[in-house]
Amino acid sequence: MMVPVRCFTCGNVVGEHWEEFKTRAKEGDEDPETVLDELGVERHCCRRMLVSHKDLVDIVAPYQ
Amino acid sequence: MELRVIEKEATMVSIEIAGEDHTFMNVLKGALLETEGVTAATYDMNPEQSGGQTDPVLTIKTDEHTDALDALEAGTERVIQKSDDFEAAFEAAA
Amino acid sequence: MQDYEVEFVERGDREARFLVRDITPAFANGIRRAMIADVPTFSVDELRVVENSSVMFDEQIGLRLGLVPLTTPVDEFEVGDTVTLSLDVQGPGREESTETVTAYSGDIVTSDPMVEPADENIPIIDLKPGQRLELEADAVLDRGREHAKHQGGVAVGYRHLQRVEVVGEKGEFEDDEPHILRGVIEEQEAAHASAGSGGEPRNGELVPTEAFDHDLTNRYPGKDLEVVDVPNAFVFHVETDGSLSVDELVTRAVDSLRGRAEELRDAVQL
Repeated sequence: MMVPVRCFTCGNVVGEHWEEFKTRAKEGDEDPETVLDELGVERHCCRRMLVSHKDLVDIVAPYQ
Repeated sequence: MELRVIEKEATMVSIEIAGEDHTFMNVLKGALLETEGVTAATYDMNPEQSGGQTDPVLTIKTDEHTDALDALEAGTERVIQKSDDFEAAFEAAA
Repeated sequence: MQDYEVEFVERGDREARFLVRDITPAFANGIRRAMIADVPTFSVDELRVVENSSVMFDEQIGLRLGLVPLTTPVDEFEVGDTVTLSLDVQGPGREESTETVTAYSGDIVTSDPMVEPADENIPIIDLKPGQRLELEADAVLDRGREHAKHQGGVAVGYRHLQRVEVVGEKGEFEDDEPHILRGVIEEQEAAHASAGSGGEPRNGELVPTEAFDHDLTNRYPGKDLEVVDVPNAFVFHVETDGSLSVDELVTRAVDSLRGRAEELRDAVQL
């Protein structure tokens, strides 16, 4: 659905970095690893929050 | 913070401190063990699920020259002193 | 009485690492626990929803808003105080070409400028044409032990400071397995250390293990090593979610310990 506001494991705020991560790594052609490093998302618990996320609002919206 | 004295002798006191948890009790216990005249200090605390006594019970034993309650007071003073010293050192480095 | 020595290894507004010497494990742990559970921060706790026609339920929106960190000024509020916030965002109109409008944490309007979202780009919910989110929210000041959303510290912890000693040369035919270490080492054997990254090695220097990729064989190639924990020296790692600065978090944690000691002393004196 929407990107989680915080990392489930450590509580770091990851939602803040989603839009930039999406434009640069998911839609753009930058390497996700370097993008995450530059965003300061260091721990692997926080990294997986962004790497494994998929926005679903567009897919769900028509069925409301 | 509500106190309930469970047992009191000249060189021994057992006291329940309502509303406190490990955060403070362990610091206090550590400070008490460094305090002069204290021969033994411990606290006992049960988890919520145990259904019984859940507030910490602090027990202090002292040598014959020291009153147990005075030792407790000295222990709290020591925690205050530690906090002040730590904060001063932290701010000096910051 | 106590001679604490504090030295910063890394220092930022939201993240820092510092070494404290001559601190007992009990006191170090007390400070750590107080940072996590006893320093209060503001967080959204209750909503009055005027209109929510988004794809998420009111409760889901409430959960997301609760997790948004809010700045918490020092000594201005008491636990239990509330500050009202509001959010009003509408999906795109007919004439607009975009398909979605996103409500961000930065769209939250506050009634008290001291309490505002610490981050502005957290997406709350995507809104499609015809959808609208309008609500009023009460942020409450409370402690981390009541709910994790009130926790100011993130990934707060400490490790022993480590001292590396060179006990000899590695045998010619010994396996060169990596020697992984995490934390901060106190450089003791600078004469044997290879600089790698991070300046000229000097005795007494604090070196984070990242400087040599956490592998001691990069720092001391070909040496037989012994690693010991330095007694009563702890390296704290403190990170905050933005509601307070690292300095505020640490000093307020210590204040809370002192406050309880004072309360107990006064109760005993009676």
